[in-house]
Amino acid sequence: METLDFLATGFSVALAPMNLALVLIGCFVGTLIGSLPGIGPINGVAILLPLAYAMGFPPESALILLAGVYYGAEYGGRISSILLNVPGDAGAIMTTLDGYPMAQKGEGGRALALSAVSSFFGSMGALILIVLFAPLLSDLAVKFGPSEFVWLMTFAFTCLATMVGSRPLKTTIGVVIGLLLATVGIDPGTGVLRYTMDIPNFFDGVDFLVVVIGMFAISEVLVLLESWLRNDMKMTPVGKSFISMSDIVAVKWVVLRSTLIGFIIGVLPGTGASIGSAVAYGTEKRFAEGKDDQFGKGDIRGLAAPEAANNASAAGSMLPMLTLGIPGSGTTAILLGALLMFNITPGPLLFEQQPQIAWGLIASMFVGNLALLVMNLPLIGMFVRLLSIKQSYLVPIIVMLTFIGIYSIHGDSFDLYFMVVLGVFAFILRKLGFSLAPVILGLVLGAVLEQNLRRALSISGGDWGILFNGPITITLAVATLIAMVAPFILKRLKKAK
Amino acid sequence: MFDRLFAGALLGLSGLLAWTAYHFEVPFQYEPLGPKAFPLILSAILALCSVWLLLKPSENKWAPTAAVLVKLLSGVALMTGYAFLFEKAGFIISTAIVGTVFCILFGESTKRAVIYSVALSVVSYFLMKHLLQLNVPTGMLFGG
Repeated sequence: METLDFLATGFSVALAPMNLALVLIGCFVGTLIGSLPGIGPINGVAILLPLAYAMGFPPESALILLAGVYYGAEYGGRISSILLNVPGDAGAIMTTLDGYPMAQKGEGGRALALSAVSSFFGSMGALILIVLFAPLLSDLAVKFGPSEFVWLMTFAFTCLATMVGSRPLKTTIGVVIGLLLATVGIDPGTGVLRYTMDIPNFFDGVDFLVVVIGMFAISEVLVLLESWLRNDMKMTPVGKSFISMSDIVAVKWVVLRSTLIGFIIGVLPGTGASIGSAVAYGTEKRFAEGKDDQFGKGDIRGLAAPEAANNASAAGSMLPMLTLGIPGSGTTAILLGALLMFNITPGPLLFEQQPQIAWGLIASMFVGNLALLVMNLPLIGMFVRLLSIKQSYLVPIIVMLTFIGIYSIHGDSFDLYFMVVLGVFAFILRKLGFSLAPVILGLVLGAVLEQNLRRALSISGGDWGILFNGPITITLAVATLIAMVAPFILKRLKKAK
Repeated sequence: MFDRLFAGALLGLSGLLAWTAYHFEVPFQYEPLGPKAFPLILSAILALCSVWLLLKPSENKWAPTAAVLVKLLSGVALMTGYAFLFEKAGFIISTAIVGTVFCILFGESTKRAVIYSVALSVVSYFLMKHLLQLNVPTGMLFGG
């Protein structure tokens, strides 16, 4: 019952006129950004973060806006997947498999509507699960001491390393680079300057926003420059087809299963929408085998599964971010960084001390998803038209927004140079097969990890045994070990077959 | 090959980071771990990973043509120039220039690039400065 009270508080925050307007703007802009070719959710949130910060919103409003952009972009990403066969980001890759064939058959309208409905149910399902689990998880996390948090973060990094990216080794290197970036600046415990190279701009540490924008948006511009080709892509016409009630009934179990899968994978630290949608698609394909299986040729089940799953995992990744302070994906890592910039530390106490933020965000996501469904069914034609915007017009806007955003924080050209340097570095990382999310996760969690480690050892007087002092730490240590070893054993077993 | 080069650079970096961390001057310290330990642990992990990558690099098929490399370098030069001009020349002028070149890099005709970028910079200036009230440099030419 207490949960319902909190949820009511949340809705009173989310339905306040300004926040309501921000949810709608966020969702609209998010869909817009998601449907633009080449800019995924993570870039959208990164580009808008400094603007939201500079405009001086209260923290809950800024978060509501940015979260709206995040899940709005997950909706928008499917448009180019279905009509162009070009996924807007990694989470939308699976959508192309059956979405594009449907569009080729002249069922573009049906595919778009069905994916909007599946996305809606995926998000709503995941949100209900968040409401159920958030109080439980934060009650548990209140009991966590510093050594538990050290293990929790180690567990998160291990999951990230073994499940994301092409090679665990490269993901680990990415995390360590992020953690090292977090050590730059004045050490809060002793006042010692670390790795500042005597540059005053680094005394406060590297600016989170500069790193995020540089690594994501600037490197994205370079990737666009590299991959740009003269021939324009052919868009498949939407057609007049639309979704019918029998379509929805036909995929109801698919959507339910995929929502669950997406949510669980989203909650696991580090693993985001791309893995969620891939696992859901694979599962449904296996379920459908032998029963008029049209997967890959335009099966509505093959479209509904990844769409429900990627939205469910986008929502699900908010749960560990809010309750534990451990982001579940690259984009939530950016949202976590945004909260830290507002001097708000997510974690178990957030739900007790600042319920308007945690529950306001959750409630706003209910409102936002409803708005997205309404927006996406009739307005789809407008978003589709955006696909034909030329990159020559788009890139100057992206570059301009990143520069305004970064400059308006401190009004210092140094940040602009540093941003470009980081962009080049991130571009090299991408070309070498590193993913960037681990770096951001490392950067966001670096300070918290170090503080907790030092606090734990202060309590024990330097005895490392404190890291194995109770049932929770040992459970987490075992979980870390399993996360480290299990993928390799599974791979061996598969090979042995 | 790229992997090996990068791993070598990382190995050197980890050594440098560890050396720097070891020589942090800590005037006082109330806790057992202090500011040195965490960076030292991290550089050890980084060194270990780089050695591993050095021994077992993954294949890399990235082979940009000369034309692509020129494009990438001009993109970087352009953004560096933008960073240089942004405050000095002001938002409107720098955005108009840099926007034009970007448009041309993405295959737009010069005339359309100029018209689009000038319009973009003027409209965004008033939008950002007055509607959103952001800190946008006016530039010396306009008395900013």
